[in-house]
Amino acid sequence: MNKYFIKAQDFETFVTKLVEAKQVIGPVAKKSRFVFEKLKNSKELRLDYDVTVLPPKKEFFPTCQPIVKFEGDKFEGCVNVEEKILFGVHFYDIKALDMTDLLYNENHRDINYMAHREAATIVGSNVQNIAERAFFGTVGVHVKPKGHDAFLTKIDDGYLFETYTDKGEALVSFGTFTKAKKEHESNALDVNNRVMGKCPEVLDYVGYESVANKVRKAFNNTAFWEDCAKDCFSCGSCNIVCPTCYCFDVQDNWNVDQVSGTRTRKWDGCLTEDFAKISLGFGAQENFREKRGDRFRHRIMRKTTYLNAKLGGPACVGCGRCSMSCTSDIADPVNVINKIMEV
Amino acid sequence: MSKPKVGFFDFASCEGCQIELTNYGDAAFVELLNHIDIVEFREAMTETAEHLTIACIEGSFTREADRGRLENIRERSDIVIAYGACASTAGVNALKNHQKDFRKDVYGEDRNMPHLYSNDRAVPISEVIKVDYNVYGCPMDKYEFLDIVSHLVHGKEPVIPNHPVCIECKHNETICRYFEGDHCLGPVARAGCRAPCPADGIPCEACRGFVDNPNEEAMEKVLIKKGKLPEARAKHKSRIFTAFCRSDA
Amino acid sequence: MGCHCEENIFVPKEAKIVKAAQVTEREKHFTLKMADGAKFEYAPGQILEVSLMGYGEIPIGLASSPTSSNGTFDIVVRTVGRVSTAINRLEEGGTMLIRGPLGNGFPIDELKGHNVVVVAGGIGLCPTRSLIKYIMDERASFKEFTLLYGARNPEEQMFQDDLKLWRGSSDVCFHEIVDKGNDKWKGKVGVITNLFKEATVKPDSKVVICGPPIMFRFVIRELKKAGVKENNIFLDLERRMKCGVGKCGHCQINDKYVCIDGPVFNYTDLKQLEEAL
Repeated sequence: MNKYFIKAQDFETFVTKLVEAKQVIGPVAKKSRFVFEKLKNSKELRLDYDVTVLPPKKEFFPTCQPIVKFEGDKFEGCVNVEEKILFGVHFYDIKALDMTDLLYNENHRDINYMAHREAATIVGSNVQNIAERAFFGTVGVHVKPKGHDAFLTKIDDGYLFETYTDKGEALVSFGTFTKAKKEHESNALDVNNRVMGKCPEVLDYVGYESVANKVRKAFNNTAFWEDCAKDCFSCGSCNIVCPTCYCFDVQDNWNVDQVSGTRTRKWDGCLTEDFAKISLGFGAQENFREKRGDRFRHRIMRKTTYLNAKLGGPACVGCGRCSMSCTSDIADPVNVINKIMEV
Repeated sequence: MSKPKVGFFDFASCEGCQIELTNYGDAAFVELLNHIDIVEFREAMTETAEHLTIACIEGSFTREADRGRLENIRERSDIVIAYGACASTAGVNALKNHQKDFRKDVYGEDRNMPHLYSNDRAVPISEVIKVDYNVYGCPMDKYEFLDIVSHLVHGKEPVIPNHPVCIECKHNETICRYFEGDHCLGPVARAGCRAPCPADGIPCEACRGFVDNPNEEAMEKVLIKKGKLPEARAKHKSRIFTAFCRSDA
Repeated sequence: MGCHCEENIFVPKEAKIVKAAQVTEREKHFTLKMADGAKFEYAPGQILEVSLMGYGEIPIGLASSPTSSNGTFDIVVRTVGRVSTAINRLEEGGTMLIRGPLGNGFPIDELKGHNVVVVAGGIGLCPTRSLIKYIMDERASFKEFTLLYGARNPEEQMFQDDLKLWRGSSDVCFHEIVDKGNDKWKGKVGVITNLFKEATVKPDSKVVICGPPIMFRFVIRELKKAGVKENNIFLDLERRMKCGVGKCGHCQINDKYVCIDGPVFNYTDLKQLEEAL
């Protein structure tokens, strides 16, 4: 829609006004890392963050989300929508949100996610600091971020603020914006282009289709996958922190009154041992991905091949969260893919 | 449905789980009392019951003399729950299992006094009688206990997680201890506690025991490489609560 | 703000139990109808997510055919875990919750006008019963119909009334076997593949298989020996279909969601999936 400029000294007032008027979720510091949280004031906002522990998906689908509440024989869904502004989302997370939007919207549309998503305004921001394991510069680069309402890029003396929707445009009234000049636009373009070349990790093979083909062909190389997963704890951390993972488990619990209760879904991970296990009766069980290597392979396949046709690219945005969260440091897709491609 | 009759019993333990149980501090436990009848509880009453719906057992088996008492509890109970680390995994009591001479280390000159006699090994209750459910943890998590009893009141088998604590830290968006330069046993520890320790900046000690298939080898590697523990310490690290669960037990 | 009124795919509907019968020690046969009186439309082979609040939800294949169900529909629940145990405590007049029908059923249109063989092992007879009933009701639309059924033992044979009917019917070539017989059992004893020695499976048959995971491979081997073409073989799979709507991920086989891409698959498609069989 429009491109605006806001001076550095006016920016804090803009955020303050937004926080006063709306529920604004933004990156804030937590110990040595960052998390998306409801902003109490503009000072908390840390647009210089590298990457958050969990992706912003949690604002639409919390890690633990009630889906049905019951009391005796009565029950009802519990979608209570709140308007939110997600402020300062990096482009790779915008791409991931766009993917989860598609996946939750297709076939059976899931309003437990979609209602929250549609009530949100998403304001992106450029990557000022790069996470230590990021590789967004070499994965799915042809897939452009979309679905957000506005985007903020820090340039020398202020910010370029681009709006794409009415929701994004509505934010302009909260700050002192002027029409952006050509040089603001070109500076911002330069900032966003340059960051792509600065990732600490690099996929040696950028053609996602050739990666997809080769990874898919490696499916039956059991020894390779077992070796990859030798040190896997089956802890599912790589799944839980992944912005494009969207699996969940559902459990019912009673409240202390033993009459009312909740059916709740929680983020789940296909790396955990019991993820694909079923009971057959007579005490027999079947685990369809019994070995660590089976589960490790499934995640890599999901990220590089299985969803490509639907998403138009890999289901990986190169945020590096999985690599950072893996205590054994085996989850890094860059290492796995580069190894497969070498063979 | 009629209220289940519940009894509480203790063996080798600090009885801390019983304290935890009465320590709810909110209406939860009192509310639970509306749904169960406590018919046997040594700490609070002298009566005994002929038949129990649920027997809750705290503490490890460490004296041969206790075998009869345990068998008696099993005989008159429909469901046996071992609660707390001592009962479910032998907990810290199992630390003696690999000592050369724990009697000397602990009791010194008094070590041969007859009332101090105990077996060489402390074992979980499930080694002596059939245990239907374990409530893990040191102390056990009162909310998990409540949840398990709630399930049993409704005739539903409780859900006890078989994934590591890491997943709960991630759900809580807790900064990983390893990221803070610390160590942690979370990757092999059974979840279900909602991971309060790492959230408070304390490493997980796996007080709930291991997941079904812990990757012990990888744990040792990570403790050395990322946790910066000396090799010997890394090797023995998980003994504190899981001596009995380890593959070398 | 406030309640969202759009349909919520995770909120179930109430179904009344019209009839409940304990058919084996572990299996209970329920006939249901929608509590609100709504017509329940479904196709053979589709599944339901069946639940009780507080206990959870499980996927169950429909065991009746829309051709003869008269507004009602059947499921058979085996006592296996938390949810099934609780459901199997219910009796006639009780209520259970359902979502569905979900998934893709048997390819009825493809089977019509052809010789059809159904191979059912154990509880696999429940979902295939929806197809068997359909074929029996619409018998003229199909050519020769053969049914092979294997159970662990005579006590675990389900649908005794149906079995009696099928044994005596000229509309179906019915063959049965049990892994282990008893004093009363006069029939065959052995594994289900033994039935291929006596049953005629014509090479141009369309075949539907449902049973425990281990059974598929052995049955497919027999079918290949009989000259059945791969694209004429259909398999009804069981996985951990937790959400039933292609989201939760638990039932995934490679890139396919059993709940929305199946549970009935053509063998040629399934063959491409290393995790399927």
